[in-house]
Amino acid sequence: MQIEIQYNPAHSLATVHLDAGEAIRAEASAMVSMTRGIDVQTNAGHSAGGGILGGLRRAVVGGESFFQNLYTARSNGAHVTLAPRLCGSMVVHELDPGVDLLIQGSSYVAAPESVHIDTKFQGFKAFLSGESLFFLKASGRGPVLMNAFGAVEMRELDGESILDTGHLVAFTAGIEYTIGKASQGWIASYLSGEGLVLRLRGRGKLWIQRRNPSEFGRTVGSMLPAREG
Amino acid sequence: MKYDILDSPDFAMLQLVLDAGEVVVAESGAMVAKDSQIQISTSMRGGLLGAAKRKLLGGESLFQNTFTSQSAGQRLFLAAAAEGDLKARQLAAGESFFLQSGAYVAHSGAELVIDTKFGGLKSFFSGVGFFMLRIQGPGTVFYGSYGALHEVDVGPEGYTVDTAHIVAFTEHLDYSVRAFGGFKGLFFSGEGLVCDFSGSGKVWVQTRNAAGLAAFLHPFRAVKSKRS
Repeated sequence: MQIEIQYNPAHSLATVHLDAGEAIRAEASAMVSMTRGIDVQTNAGHSAGGGILGGLRRAVVGGESFFQNLYTARSNGAHVTLAPRLCGSMVVHELDPGVDLLIQGSSYVAAPESVHIDTKFQGFKAFLSGESLFFLKASGRGPVLMNAFGAVEMRELDGESILDTGHLVAFTAGIEYTIGKASQGWIASYLSGEGLVLRLRGRGKLWIQRRNPSEFGRTVGSMLPAREG
Repeated sequence: MKYDILDSPDFAMLQLVLDAGEVVVAESGAMVAKDSQIQISTSMRGGLLGAAKRKLLGGESLFQNTFTSQSAGQRLFLAAAAEGDLKARQLAAGESFFLQSGAYVAHSGAELVIDTKFGGLKSFFSGVGFFMLRIQGPGTVFYGSYGALHEVDVGPEGYTVDTAHIVAFTEHLDYSVRAFGGFKGLFFSGEGLVCDFSGSGKVWVQTRNAAGLAAFLHPFRAVKSKRS
């Protein structure tokens, strides 16, 4: 399996090249095109179970689905192309056993079956800002495809960093995190518009997206006519 | 007529240089800027019925603007509505080209035909909100995408594309539309359908689609208050 990314930074497209028997699991809404020699198994949830996935689907920022399709190549030279909904880049992280990856829910796009996606990190809903945040934990071996809103930057962290939750894509498990307010008090935090921040400590890799999907959604959403409940 | 495509692939703009008497027809709203010696006339091409049919079936605008240059070296700048790429396709006499209706930006060539009523239309009706135009040469058609334009060679084994991502394809390809698994479009029609191509030719795919953006934004809309 080889994942090729084109058209970064603004309108990325990932081509997942598959040989016979190889498979990739991807978010249902991500498929753009594919060769014909591929079997598609729909709604193939991870072993975490449908109930949790159902909850996750609702929890994901922007209503993105967490239904997974499994694409299995019947012959060599097959491919599936994948793209996220918003403009921005995609990036692949090669997962090593023992170094898990924590991915912000809406940043996950695809991974092979050798990567286990766990949902044990429960969602965190900020009662003041309305921002929600949850992580998927990827473990195992193989490539993990992620998307960013806007360009993506990978940083090597050694120490401490504070990051707006809406700009987080992923980080490796050597990094500890706490979620807290941006300012001293809750009211000041709320007024600052920064909502929740992540305090990251430790050593590892950190991916940051240059735009915040929730900010964009709120900016444009407030200009749209009201919807039926 | 000469043309250049500037700022491809993310924010493409078409620059045309027209000589005296040369004519370009563009989708209403596509003009960015022009030199002063280019006249604009607005019309419903194909008469009222033809225009209404295109509006209903093809989804493009009822009106088109005809730009006629009065002198040599006049520039006209055109752009599509969405951020993304632009491409030109030159068609020989009798050669057909299939274009997703919203991708049409402009064309030149008095004999070029834009047709919504062709044999294959029915199969595309299964995808509500998804219509193809058949463009028949001779002439040049300019078309745009949301996101990058990705070119795919369709071989004998065939190729499958999400209908919301199809921009254009060449003639002599067979195609059929079917539902595709997974929860794709919870709110917007046209998602969750794919088109199977077979034969030999090229397909152009856009790397983003407007329905996907709309689906992302939908939850951010305010909810109407209920009255009993």
